[in-house]
Amino acid sequence: MIWLDYAIMQRALIACIFAGFLMGLIGVFVVRMRLSAIGYSMSHGAFAGAALGVATATNPLVTGVVFASATAFLIGPIADKARLHADTITSIIFPLNMALAFIFLTLAPQVGLSSQVANVLWGSIISMTSSDLVYLVSLFAATLAIIYFVWKELFAIMFNRKLAEADGINTRPFIYLIIFLAGVVITFSLKLVGGLLIYALLFNPASTVLQFSENMRKVIVYSPLVGMTTTVAGLFISVLFDFPAGSSIVIVSTIFFAIALLLSPKRRRKEV
Amino acid sequence: MREDEIIKLEDVSTVYEGESRPAIKNVNLSFKRDDLVYIVGPNASGKTTLLETINGLLPPFKGKVSVFGLDVQSNGQKVRCRIGYVPQDFMVKPGEPYKALDVVLMGLYGHIGFLHHPEAKDKKSALDAMKLLGIEELADRPMGKLSGGQQQKVMLARALAKNPKILLLDEPFSNMDPDSRGQIPALITQLHKEKGLTTLIVTHDIHHMLDSCNRVIVVSNGRITFDGAPEKALSIVEDHPHTTSLEASHH
Repeated sequence: MIWLDYAIMQRALIACIFAGFLMGLIGVFVVRMRLSAIGYSMSHGAFAGAALGVATATNPLVTGVVFASATAFLIGPIADKARLHADTITSIIFPLNMALAFIFLTLAPQVGLSSQVANVLWGSIISMTSSDLVYLVSLFAATLAIIYFVWKELFAIMFNRKLAEADGINTRPFIYLIIFLAGVVITFSLKLVGGLLIYALLFNPASTVLQFSENMRKVIVYSPLVGMTTTVAGLFISVLFDFPAGSSIVIVSTIFFAIALLLSPKRRRKEV
Repeated sequence: MREDEIIKLEDVSTVYEGESRPAIKNVNLSFKRDDLVYIVGPNASGKTTLLETINGLLPPFKGKVSVFGLDVQSNGQKVRCRIGYVPQDFMVKPGEPYKALDVVLMGLYGHIGFLHHPEAKDKKSALDAMKLLGIEELADRPMGKLSGGQQQKVMLARALAKNPKILLLDEPFSNMDPDSRGQIPALITQLHKEKGLTTLIVTHDIHHMLDSCNRVIVVSNGRITFDGAPEKALSIVEDHPHTTSLEASHH
């Protein structure tokens, strides 16, 4: 595997391992808490931020993170205020971010849909820098630590939010925390597959594992591993067949889900 | 609030968001430590609203709710850690990734506190509660694969595992088989007596367990229309076979 001798590909492989793991982990909470629209909103928030960064000659990753984080930070409180599900609010914010992105792009017409902005939308795994990896690994450590400490509350909320409240847990900060963490993890993973395909990484690993397990502890362990395997396998396939990395990763993860659906023991009847 | 009053509602009205009609209206009630109360009434009369106003899941639009002498609105988490609650018609769908023991253990999470993890003693409390209800063999079964009656027992074990001071049970026996309908109410009565557990049970069927409760409350159209001894409630019901007739006959 001569391609692994290149630093650019080594960085891509490391990014696949950490981002795949993180997306698989956060995806469990997003799927179980029914926050599916969050992926769309975050990635387009990052896109709008990146567009702003290009228009104002600022680092697009930084403005992308700020925009996506602000989006993530606002969704929970707005949903509570409007008494609507977080999914509905993310669906309202999603076109707003797109509208802002187009306005930012017209502010710098000479740039247009520059490669930096396009990288956020379509992904560019080979543009991963060493500092991107440092951010990603730091985020990996921070996310694992946070989830370890608040796992019991998240576990109870995923089962039933009202019952968790009835047992004395203040659920609101934990819901906000997951929305915020999802936003940040999605933003840092955008270079992997891009905003248009990122949802596959968020939903597919958890949905795949949920076809097999009726034990949430196993789901939370296996989903990140499936996410990681998916991204690494997708990267290998993209190199072997010279396909775009993002598309390869998404196709692999969809195949994983299709296989899980076919092999799932959950719907099988057996005589004892 | 008197010393022996565990729960007190003062002129409480609860209005659901987007509604203008109160689900319960101007309710004044107090419950003592040794109360075992049946709350009866027709559908949508406000029984569940009353329970969820007591434990603070629904904020009152007007009035004040105190539990253990604390205002529930400002001490919700603290109060709910000591209340066991079984909601109405709670069913887990097949395929949901939760084991029965996990669900029972969750009842203790508020008690265990933020940043702490369940310890062996917490797991033992959860298993003891399951044992008490005769469902310890279900501990490792997925919740979604249990029958309605088994799930109700798991929810009851969840409410009991935290060693509560108050039990709020919303139609807790509705899915149980005839044997369990005899045994489980008897167990609740025993726990009430042994542990001094203030117990409020919402039901449609006033004939259930009347011999073990000391008070019956009838809710109709959001108002308390009867609050008295079970014998009196029963004598009215015998004259008027439907529970809904109880309030009409009383007034």
